Amino acid sequence: MSVPQDLFYAKTHEWVDLNDGIATVGITDFAQSQLSDLTFVELPEVGTMFEAGDEAAVVESVKAAADVYAPVGGEVIEVNMDLEDNPELINNDSFGKGWIFKIKVNNEAEVDDMMDADSYEELCPAD
Amino acid sequence: MNAWSVSFNEPVHYQQGLDIQRRLLKARQENLIPDTVLILQHTPTVTLGNRGRANYLLKTEEEYRELGIDLFHAERGGDVTFHGPGQWVLYPILYLGGNEADSHGYLSNLEEIAIRTLGDYDIKGFRREGKSGAWTDAGKIAAIGFRLKKWVSFHGMSFNVSNDLMGFNTIVPCGLVGEPVASLKTILGDGCPAMSTVRDSLLNHFSNVCNRELERFELEGDLPDLLNDLIKG
Repeated sequence: MSVPQDLFYAKTHEWVDLNDGIATVGITDFAQSQLSDLTFVELPEVGTMFEAGDEAAVVESVKAAADVYAPVGGEVIEVNMDLEDNPELINNDSFGKGWIFKIKVNNEAEVDDMMDADSYEELCPAD
Repeated sequence: MNAWSVSFNEPVHYQQGLDIQRRLLKARQENLIPDTVLILQHTPTVTLGNRGRANYLLKTEEEYRELGIDLFHAERGGDVTFHGPGQWVLYPILYLGGNEADSHGYLSNLEEIAIRTLGDYDIKGFRREGKSGAWTDAGKIAAIGFRLKKWVSFHGMSFNVSNDLMGFNTIVPCGLVGEPVASLKTILGDGCPAMSTVRDSLLNHFSNVCNRELERFELEGDLPDLLNDLIKG
């Protein structure tokens, strides 16, 4: 299971890539593997304001639906429209093409409350 | 890992079951209670999953009312299904986001519980590629649909024992056209085990498959105070 070193991680299995005040958010490889083949992603609307911990999206596989939380607060400035037709991008490339939404972050210090790759790996089951 | 189970002897209204699950879900997210499994029967109800399509309902809302069947949109995964007395419904409220998560995945575990339970009565159960649930040669016997919030599960699996399967004729179960639905009763006839026997099978296999030691309670018995409050609201 892959856990890239340069990202921040939430206990609820989201990842954040923070660049110039913009947080790109997705779910981790562990999360997608637990949900199996995704069939639908309910995306947030651009312009929505979230606080850290708010329900932001829903990912669905054949029999499971799981909430995705905003790891940091701010305004949604972009969502990954490719997921509408190709939700399996999350299964195939959870840390890349499977990103879900981007947030213009209100307070960058909020990522300090998130985990680094090593701490996150300890939360996940050993392979 | 220790967990609780609570069994209900009398059929529970769908909304009441949902309210109980939501209270337990919140308590589990806050780590106030251990993983907890509810096992109950519902009064007659048709439920649609999150993405469930209304064209799999073969009656109008009015007709469902006349048949005494409640209709609910549930926020679980999966499509349309029917619940009624004589069917066990398993609602595990489990934290699945930690390092004890099973690599086979929760969906596979639920299917395994149904298949092993069938094995207790010498019925061959199996999975079908691309279709979740548990199947027998006579048809589909267990249906699955669940939701995770903060990686705690709710909703779960239903398993047909001796329920009147007529309710399934009012829907296209799980959106699968032309697929028969089976119960232990349709397969075993007079040899169908008692509901309580099947409940114990399901809980035993839950315990083994999900690797949780169950402390078992009945609604009518002595419950821990906190559990009692959460269930009775």
